[in-house]
Amino acid sequence: MARAMWKGLIALGKQTVAVKMYSAVEDRSIRFHMLHKKDHAPVEQHIIRKDTGEDVRREDIRKAFSLDNDTAVILQPEDLDKLVPPESRDIQLCRFVNATVLGDQWYDRPYYLGPDADEPSYFALARALETTNMIGIARWVMRKKRYIGALTSINGYLALSTMRRADQVLKFAEIEPASNMKPLPNELKLAQQLVSSIEADFNPQLWKNEYRQRLLKLIEARARGEKLTPVKIKKKAAQVSLADSLKASIAAAREKKVA
Amino acid sequence: MPKAKSTYRPKKKTHSVDAPEKTSGAAVRPLWSGTITFGLVSIPVDLLSAVRPRQTAMKLIDKEGHALGRQYRCSKDGKKLVNEDLIRGYETDDGKMVVITDEEFESVAPEMSADINLINFVSADQIPPVYFQKPFYLAPAGKSSKAYNLLVATMEHTGRVGIGNFVMRGHEYLVAIVSDNGVLRADTLRYADEVRTADSIGLPKPSKVASELVNQFSKSITELKRNELSAEELEDRDAEELQALVKAKQKDSSNVVHQHALESDDPESSSDGGAQIIDLMAVLRRSLSKRAVVTNAQSSTPISLDERRASKRATNAKPVIKKKARTRKSRKS
Repeated sequence: MARAMWKGLIALGKQTVAVKMYSAVEDRSIRFHMLHKKDHAPVEQHIIRKDTGEDVRREDIRKAFSLDNDTAVILQPEDLDKLVPPESRDIQLCRFVNATVLGDQWYDRPYYLGPDADEPSYFALARALETTNMIGIARWVMRKKRYIGALTSINGYLALSTMRRADQVLKFAEIEPASNMKPLPNELKLAQQLVSSIEADFNPQLWKNEYRQRLLKLIEARARGEKLTPVKIKKKAAQVSLADSLKASIAAAREKKVA
Repeated sequence: MPKAKSTYRPKKKTHSVDAPEKTSGAAVRPLWSGTITFGLVSIPVDLLSAVRPRQTAMKLIDKEGHALGRQYRCSKDGKKLVNEDLIRGYETDDGKMVVITDEEFESVAPEMSADINLINFVSADQIPPVYFQKPFYLAPAGKSSKAYNLLVATMEHTGRVGIGNFVMRGHEYLVAIVSDNGVLRADTLRYADEVRTADSIGLPKPSKVASELVNQFSKSITELKRNELSAEELEDRDAEELQALVKAKQKDSSNVVHQHALESDDPESSSDGGAQIIDLMAVLRRSLSKRAVVTNAQSSTPISLDERRASKRATNAKPVIKKKARTRKSRKS
């Protein structure tokens, strides 16, 4: 049983649902210490004055907000305290939209929510989201920071993903390509055939982070005092005309399916 | 002082204070350039960030307003260290430090490749949101955008997204290639072993739900339902509070400092988010359509080169916060 990282209260109209929050992702990146090459001693990071190179004590460090390249407004510790939002356990649902309204680029960090003592309400809300096919937009304060998130249901459970903020996401109005660069009907037909010939279900289990696996092997070998000689794989693709390439690709895909 | 820890990035070493300052020129510099291989069709593309940093990053200064920086030093002899003096060590569970040389890292790094291989196509709604990590735009890079437009149109017609992989800066990425208003986007995906399930967390099995309760929730949901999201609903209130405070403090000149080479408080965020926006616009205009317009979700005002230059001039003459037109790059050079 994973440990909950936070407890909150979903507020929807007059109803509330007590929930526990769990990270939906596991950080599997391999962390290294930085060492001095000569003596393998750990490296320390110091904050220094750029002009003199002198060390600056922690309590003398201030933060500043830049106005332009060389002008900034200095903020004192009490200013930063003022910016801390009031503490709260509420996950306030402000809006619901159809699940298709939110593009993938909005999702930042995913969390699962679990029931906190009130299973009937928890599973009922998950069911309500599922049947209405809606996503809830929520705001909450967690560990002195404000968050915006998307409340969804996954297989009958509630999930809350933090979202990027409005000015972070870049958008386009529909771009119409130049007329001489538009695909021809026969090319489009061939391309669609190619797509259906390599169509599949999304199966993330098929892909492993091979670099991470090789790196772990290397570390294990080095820990035992061994050396490793790795094998490298090379790939190459040919290049002909668009329509010919598409036809050849479809033929190749068919062959693969038969084999 | 805390021990310096880092996730290993083979091609891009952790920056040091001695690194030369970047200039702010409008050089077009994508994060990655390569080719999408779609069957035997090759589509040259430039990869550019589709998101930019929050407008809340701050710089480090001392009490008198002097610019501060970071420096690595050896914990044993106190010597100042540059990138060439550093090596990485992995601490095993029993506390042993295993030193890995750059050459050894190099030997297990993925083969340098400039291909995004489209492995297969899946229905867009099959990918659970928990898999999405970071979005990038793919702009056509070759002389002809025909093959690019063909892939866009094909995905729009079929409602499918491409699943592929590629290598960038020594890391293998799994991506979903989606078509977004006539432009291709590559969203990096998490690997399956990084994603938890309700089962692996240990959540209780779903119990029977009272339809009365479900109906109550459905009613509340419907009351708050809209067809679209407005920008205010997703606005960055932290950034707004911060900028309001800065604006108030700015009136007293004793709060204003003038310094060159201010360092960000977050060493991870020192990427040139602003430059990427300029790139994206220029690249799309040149390669796809003269009428290409990029905006952020908050403002419908286009982010254009000319506008940014004008706003920079205005900012330099009269230091006011222009929230919408300003990006990180114009604050940092």
